[in-house]
Amino acid sequence: MNDTLSRRSFIKLSAITVGAITLGEMLPPFVAQDAIDSGLINAAGNGFVRSTCEMCVWRCGLIAKIRDGRVVKLDGNPDHPHSRGHLCVRGQSGLMNTYDPDRVLTPLIRTGNRGEGKFREASWEEALDLTASKMLQIKDKYGPEAMVFSSTHNLSQVQFENLLYGYGSPNYGTQRSLCFNAMIVANMMTYGMEEPARIYDKELQYVILTGRNLMEAISTSETGDLSDAIGRGVKVVYIDPRFTKTAAKATEWLPIKPGTDLAFHLALLNVIVGEGLYNSDFVDKYTIGFDELAQEVEQYTPEWAEPITQIPAETIHRIAQEFAAAAPNALAHNGWRTSNFINSFQTQRAITILNALVGNWNVTMKASAGEGSDVLGKPPQPPYPRASALRLDGVPYKYPIVPLKLGIFQELRDNIVTGQPYQAHGWFIARQNPFMSLPDRGRTIEAFDKMDFIATVDIVLNDTAWISDVVLPEASYLERYDPLLPVGDKAFLRQPVIEPQGDARSALWIYKQLGERLGLEDYFQYKDEEDYIRQQLAPLGITLEEVKSKGYAQLPTVEEEPDFNWDTPSGKIELFSETLSRVGFAGVPVWDPPPEPMPGAFYLLTGKVAQATQFASQNNQLLNKYSDEPRLWLNDKVAEDRGLEDDDWVEVTSEVGQVHIRLKVTPGIRPDCVYMTPGYGHISKGLTTAYGLGASDSVLHVTYTDPISGSQALTQTFVTIRKA
Amino acid sequence: MSDHSAKPRYGFLIDASLCIDCRSCTVACSVENEVPMDSTRIWMKETGIIGEYPNLQRYTAPYHCMHCIDPSCVSACTVSALKRDEDGIVTYDEDLCIGCRYCMYACPFEVPNYEWDRPLPLVVKCDMCFARLQEGQQPACAATCPTAAIKFGKYEDMLEEAHRLINENPGKYVNHIYGEEENGGTATLYISPVPFEELGFPIAGTTSPAFSNRLVTEGTPLVAGSMLVGLSGVYLTIKHLKEEAEAERLRAEQGQTVGEEE
Repeated sequence: MNDTLSRRSFIKLSAITVGAITLGEMLPPFVAQDAIDSGLINAAGNGFVRSTCEMCVWRCGLIAKIRDGRVVKLDGNPDHPHSRGHLCVRGQSGLMNTYDPDRVLTPLIRTGNRGEGKFREASWEEALDLTASKMLQIKDKYGPEAMVFSSTHNLSQVQFENLLYGYGSPNYGTQRSLCFNAMIVANMMTYGMEEPARIYDKELQYVILTGRNLMEAISTSETGDLSDAIGRGVKVVYIDPRFTKTAAKATEWLPIKPGTDLAFHLALLNVIVGEGLYNSDFVDKYTIGFDELAQEVEQYTPEWAEPITQIPAETIHRIAQEFAAAAPNALAHNGWRTSNFINSFQTQRAITILNALVGNWNVTMKASAGEGSDVLGKPPQPPYPRASALRLDGVPYKYPIVPLKLGIFQELRDNIVTGQPYQAHGWFIARQNPFMSLPDRGRTIEAFDKMDFIATVDIVLNDTAWISDVVLPEASYLERYDPLLPVGDKAFLRQPVIEPQGDARSALWIYKQLGERLGLEDYFQYKDEEDYIRQQLAPLGITLEEVKSKGYAQLPTVEEEPDFNWDTPSGKIELFSETLSRVGFAGVPVWDPPPEPMPGAFYLLTGKVAQATQFASQNNQLLNKYSDEPRLWLNDKVAEDRGLEDDDWVEVTSEVGQVHIRLKVTPGIRPDCVYMTPGYGHISKGLTTAYGLGASDSVLHVTYTDPISGSQALTQTFVTIRKA
Repeated sequence: MSDHSAKPRYGFLIDASLCIDCRSCTVACSVENEVPMDSTRIWMKETGIIGEYPNLQRYTAPYHCMHCIDPSCVSACTVSALKRDEDGIVTYDEDLCIGCRYCMYACPFEVPNYEWDRPLPLVVKCDMCFARLQEGQQPACAATCPTAAIKFGKYEDMLEEAHRLINENPGKYVNHIYGEEENGGTATLYISPVPFEELGFPIAGTTSPAFSNRLVTEGTPLVAGSMLVGLSGVYLTIKHLKEEAEAERLRAEQGQTVGEEE
């Protein structure tokens, strides 16, 4: 049988999950009092509550089924444009995050050495007092800049930012430079917005996906849209060195040489400009810098690109012609995690320019409202104190183009280690696992070693919590409120579908408590979570009770005119960017050859699987149950040449680290590449399901920062392998 | 006793061209039905990555109870724990099950799963999310599928849709609706761009062995008695062979597990 899930994986699993338990046996009898009060759950504890998923940043709408006061099933909310009644595999597994037997349900204070995992339970009073006093000591002794704050984007982020900017630190680490800086900065330089929205309507004819693995890195509605489009016969060209599940669905898979996506797109531009296939009306009216672009791309012929990309010139030529012929019903997708090579920023620029040249604006792409809202209220927001210290991540004085909001997390970490321009002494982390997510784990450990104090907010003892001094247990997304999230013409609610277990508390509560102890109460002017949301709703005249019942607040509809204005210095789409040029970077995309592995070494590829979210979900028993063992992919011919076989244990070595992992021999990868699933290799023994599974890509990743966008070049790591 | 030839009321249509192997259906099923962590009612079948680099293909499809029109498992069940209800759903009653595992050996699709690690093991299989149907909801797997690879509805509509998709998309699918005739017909229907053997589907005959089984479980005591002896002999032989293979596999895996820890 060809079962993906062999009985072996179940047996392996039952050995890991001690005393394999059914969900039903482990659900504690808690019911959200609010949900009972608002009539969503009856006296017997049965009913349905609408809320918002948090298994990834797509944030689908969910309907939680409550039986006997316990959440027993999650379904997609048909009213939500991101879920349309569906949930992905992670969304389906979400209740297992909440009911994870490894949940931290009381504040913890470290008693042993860091990394020993010895903690004692503490009251919130004690844990918060200790955290605040340590933070105030650091501020008094070294200044507020000596305290680093980091968190991965979430709905309570605005209050996290109040904590750090109110405290006065400029040092803010987010996931962004490890993910999408290249894409966001390229869009800002070209379109003056972070990320245009994509339109998959019935007219769509042609899509180029540059590494956007939508069938595994699932965004429920967009994945469905792409699948529908393929079903309708839309041509999808997919560029990736690996035969992913998206490659399997695409019309055409091009196994491009890593680091050369830029050359491919420059050659597309060459054909479209050289053969006059662009939309000249659109270009004349709405763009600037065509001449500079035309002059630069003249040299980048498909014949030039062929030996670089290892894609035949005629294929590149044909795709350029097909794309232009399908335009404006054609879309070149930017991708999402675009932190691949130092030249990824220019790749992203080339993609945005490709779209602009064929005039697909307001056809397959349009301005995106983002997550902000002009109509929702908010608690009073005093101005922040001026942070006089330089940022440790070098933004903007070393990286003039990188937006402050994005920052460069890996540079921040590096300068904690170097102590330049000053030494950091404390680190406050919320909903993030930098121990796993930053490249070069060895250096991340050095950075943590420099700290006098580390506090982590999370729902489990993630790897960063494991080495922290204080762990503050957050309520899971099914147990808490977060601020409202506008999507389209609705603002969606996250509300507790069950009461928080143990002493877990919402981030809104934790940040407020800490803020008050730090003398920052003016930044936290809400009585409790419900009061926060009521202040958001106040200008709309909608009651919280109505929102709790429907799951969203209807926002006033604004008549949308097709918008042909861009928030760039010129007000047009900038094919040539004066901003880039002025600070010494190329104003139009130019070829920048990436480094290559030495003979015998491999590019280290990473990329998502559908059953995991970054570094946070590997301990979810349901996801673990239906996940493949994370193994190292190696091309079958190469394996044969090297005498390696499927299931062999191999030693993988990069410039900065070494791991042991089992081999998966497959024809589905280029011979010069190996692939690892990111997010495994956890060191926290507090993660009893994930501990010991797979190996960590972060151990191997070498730190390289793109000087323009600040993006970490995650694929610019080369490894050797040998039988272990 | 249900009608052994009545067409089912409900049916699944599973399209391997749309399945992205995300496994949302598998988790949805496990949660909805509180399936133990070491067991499952639903698997992924796959071709694996086939072909020679760079000309590759990969297809997958979720796989669960076929809900046969004349189910072999029902006929093999001596205590009527397995039944086919009036809607054509093959249901399982754990209160009646004696754990004999005859159904596992009778099923040509290798569907009933067993809670091997339990002192009183039960059979685990799909019941079309019977409870959800009563609440007017789709089965959990179909409801959540992000690409609509699993469709659920009236059996007749599903069958018609399967024919339409094959007829209107020449060359896209193999000209075979798996389940239309397999084992005498099933409520779960599949269409696929590749032959079903390549997806790892069992090759099932077009008639159900349920008739001969019924002689054992429903026939006159005399006939049934003599058949039972014969059937038991066959059963014990198969059981022995399967258990040997299982033990062998376990030994191999034990070795691997030890290797992992070194």
